[in-house]
Amino acid sequence: MQAWLAPKYLTWLRQGFGVTVGLALTVALAATVAGLVLAIARHARYGWLRRATAAYVLVFRNTPLLVQLFFWYFGAATLMPDALMQWLNTPHGVQLGAYALRWPSFEFVAGWVGLTCYTAAFIAEEFQAGLRGVPAGQHAAAAALGLTPLQAFRYVVLPQAVRISLPPLFGQYMNLVKNSSLTMAIGLAELSYASRQVETETFKTFEAFGVATVLYIAAVALIEAVSHTLAHARERSFARR
Amino acid sequence: MTWSLFANNLPYLLVGAFPQGPLGGAALTLVLAVCSALASAVLGLAGGIALAMAGRIARVPLLLVIGFFRAIPVLMLIFWTYFLLPMVFHVDVPGLATVVCALSLIGGAYLAHSVHAGIRAVGDGQWQAGLSLGLTRMQALRYVLLPQAMRIMAPSFVNQWVSLVKDTSLAYIVGVGELSFVATQVSNRLMVYPAQIFLFVGFMYLVLCTALDRIATYALTRRKRIVQPLTPATTQALSGD
Repeated sequence: MQAWLAPKYLTWLRQGFGVTVGLALTVALAATVAGLVLAIARHARYGWLRRATAAYVLVFRNTPLLVQLFFWYFGAATLMPDALMQWLNTPHGVQLGAYALRWPSFEFVAGWVGLTCYTAAFIAEEFQAGLRGVPAGQHAAAAALGLTPLQAFRYVVLPQAVRISLPPLFGQYMNLVKNSSLTMAIGLAELSYASRQVETETFKTFEAFGVATVLYIAAVALIEAVSHTLAHARERSFARR
Repeated sequence: MTWSLFANNLPYLLVGAFPQGPLGGAALTLVLAVCSALASAVLGLAGGIALAMAGRIARVPLLLVIGFFRAIPVLMLIFWTYFLLPMVFHVDVPGLATVVCALSLIGGAYLAHSVHAGIRAVGDGQWQAGLSLGLTRMQALRYVLLPQAMRIMAPSFVNQWVSLVKDTSLAYIVGVGELSFVATQVSNRLMVYPAQIFLFVGFMYLVLCTALDRIATYALTRRKRIVQPLTPATTQALSGD
């Protein structure tokens, strides 16, 4: 009997971690853009748009991610037209130069959509707090300088808002990595799923869960380190001016 | 026709097989949430007070433990408790207890930081004032710092409880028959309306979380009289030494 996990199982765990990282990265990208759009829409001129985004944020923040994932995985499939489902389920090669991207499974797509919608609501709140943190005087000053509202937003308000909301934003990225574990409930073979599978096959619970736990902690620690470095780099760049 | 299906399954979603069988559904979700909310509040208070009172060296292991619980996904911790608790106590621990244990540990770790931050936010002046009145550190904390810190930490407690209600859905993974689990059962049995069922269940969670948010915020932050007459307990403590 081997003391440690066989190479085959380590490969499973590595592949699982790869899926977790890939999912988290793509979701982080999409959710940041969506969150920024939502945060800006919360300040829109039209009342209905403001109310709609507020409702979106309320609904997606106050329901469990697991139920949302179930909805996207089991529910959305029945609501979508058959042709679209078939298109999603048949592989499409995406050729990017020398790289060929594999078509993701429906589990991945559902998990990606679910996580993106969920995370976007949280990120929108962080950006909104950032936007609210910019003093009203800054808007007035920009207007007094003759900037159009769009210019004022782009060159005066947004840079300050992003600076305020950067630390909590990285907190949301950490949450995202942790939340990605829930996609195992819809059968996406990410890290938690892989660790559970290894555990059921080998009965080496300590090793299987231990490796997964360490990998999660490493991922979260890495994000923390990046956030820390960014904050310090920014401080230094301000000190130079 | 849809409505009759819903009406037939509604009791099952709400209380599971209750009068005949074990409690389940939304009622079990509530039980899970209340148990882990209380436990996490106790753990969080204890952890936060320990952080505030500990010296520089004693704080390091405490921070490491709290950091560990904050860095791993809830799901991973549920796996660990599901596996470790029976080993440690040599009894068959029900899935319910493992979930409550995992949720309160994670909630406690998050709250410990909020409590610590709340105590720090009250300010050193209050510590010094308390100590110079002849209170011991424990008394100063209990009668001077904590009552003021409570008001500062109230929003974090409410936030943590809301995310706790959402996290109870993870009990699904170890087969506890709470709302999400029951929802998948109903969905699998009916086979036809997964989208509607998960939308409805999401709506139930939404109502639960929003109500909890509003009620708890109201109860905890309602304006109290700033100057309270000394209660007998305080007078006794003040004249005690």
